Amino acid sequence: MPLLEIARVRKHFGGVTAVNDVSLALEPGRIYGLIGPNGSGKTTLFNCITGLERPDAGTIVFDGQRIDGRKPNRIARRGIGRTFQVIRVFPELTALENLVVVTRGARAEAEARAVELLRLVKLERLAGEFAGNLSYGQQKLVEFVRVLMPDPSLILLDEPAAGVNRTLLNDLLQAVARLRDRGKTVLLVEHDMKVVMGLCETVFVLDHGDKIAEGPPGAIQSDERVIEAYFGR
Amino acid sequence: MTRVGAAVAVLLVVLAALAAYPLVGTGYGVRAMLQLFMWIALAASWNLISGLTGYVSFGHVAFFGAGAYATGILVSTAGWPWPPAALAGGVAGAALAFLIGVPCLRLKGPYFAIAMLGLNEVLRALISYFEGLTGGGNGLSLPTLQATTPVYYAMGLTALLVVALTHAVITSRFGLRLMTIREDEVAAEAMGIDTFRHKLYAFLLSAVGPGIVGGLAARDQGYIEPMSVFPLATTITMIVMVLFGGKGTVWGPVLGAVVLFVFQEAVWARFIYLHQLLFGAIIVAVVLLMPRGVLGLLQMRYRLPRTI
Repeated sequence: MPLLEIARVRKHFGGVTAVNDVSLALEPGRIYGLIGPNGSGKTTLFNCITGLERPDAGTIVFDGQRIDGRKPNRIARRGIGRTFQVIRVFPELTALENLVVVTRGARAEAEARAVELLRLVKLERLAGEFAGNLSYGQQKLVEFVRVLMPDPSLILLDEPAAGVNRTLLNDLLQAVARLRDRGKTVLLVEHDMKVVMGLCETVFVLDHGDKIAEGPPGAIQSDERVIEAYFGR
Repeated sequence: MTRVGAAVAVLLVVLAALAAYPLVGTGYGVRAMLQLFMWIALAASWNLISGLTGYVSFGHVAFFGAGAYATGILVSTAGWPWPPAALAGGVAGAALAFLIGVPCLRLKGPYFAIAMLGLNEVLRALISYFEGLTGGGNGLSLPTLQATTPVYYAMGLTALLVVALTHAVITSRFGLRLMTIREDEVAAEAMGIDTFRHKLYAFLLSAVGPGIVGGLAARDQGYIEPMSVFPLATTITMIVMVLFGGKGTVWGPVLGAVVLFVFQEAVWARFIYLHQLLFGAIIVAVVLLMPRGVLGLLQMRYRLPRTI
């Protein structure tokens, strides 16, 4: 049974159809890529899955239950975590507080786990610093590990590689691969094709709100419709 | 640990001195301190909703007024003693916050601020309209009672409890979650935080103190009328005190209340016309020069713990 099943989801903004009858299914324990030119509907689809937008039509089923139209905090607590294309850390909370704030249960345990996650991205020395004082790349990493704090089963990453330097990027990609190995499902939007090709097992391609292709990265790269969408005829 | 110990010791000495003050102080002095306690409770309460969540309440004096009228009616009509009546004022504040919060906290920041401004005017009109119960524009007189000293203690205790509550909130994850609403409400929701529920809880907590304090002020003054318990200026003063001291901190509202109250008393006594102008100048200076307030500035520079 797929972990997430999106069926004929549609979303309009005025006269613009941002997502048009898109269907896709994510199997547990795999890494998926979502690519497409700017404005093809990738972020809107993320917003529909996480409840920030209510789809005009279609259904989204997560872990056997309908989630479309639910409030974002409910969906998050069912086990879907996401990062944003534009960084959304809490700037006047420290790096540590950014992570601890999204947890419930014993605080000492949460803090230990937060330190461990910050160590994973080599930020443990900056745990007490306000997130707003960190560099762009560091904030991006804080946002990434913050998503992992509540231990979600599905993780949506919106351009995780953008603005992160090469060394950190490798750590980050390794971390994503380890998540998969631990049974997590990852769906990532990414423009860096090397990242997508190296990491994803299946890639979905959107263009003007339509899903125009789906398959392993190798096949996608040579798909004529995909090439046309990116480079024109 | 020693630093914490020293801070606690200083706090205890200050509290002991304040507790002993009515035995030695002049009538004017006790009355002034009582008002200072009132401002501390009001500023710290406003900080709970607006300083932490960033939802600016422009009508917070409404809870003060509701508390004053609830207490006034219970004392003068139902014959309650003033201490339980003042507590009922706190309940009235919270009840009003619930009625207003459920629809209005769904509005985003600026719209909420405007709605709160409207609430205050509506309440004032309602009080004037229900003349039978409230005395309308003629006001409501409470039976004469010499209670300045007990009200001093009650006011001081209320201020202390609101500050203690602020400390408990800010050092907890609940407090951090309130701050995420101020920092980025969309991200907070996406991380599983029920922002509406959190805003509502903070709003309820922020209305209890002003309700009690309103009741105590009504008892102290012995007479209330719509114009005297719903002035917009009271809300503005709370806001300026918090902005000056440092919004979202435990001690910022206390610092702001003390500095601005002392300043107001000193200047008001000497320059009766100039004081509003100076007060306005302070507002502008604070917003321009240190938008985070005194403690906010220190917080950014020296990474103070949240307990400050």
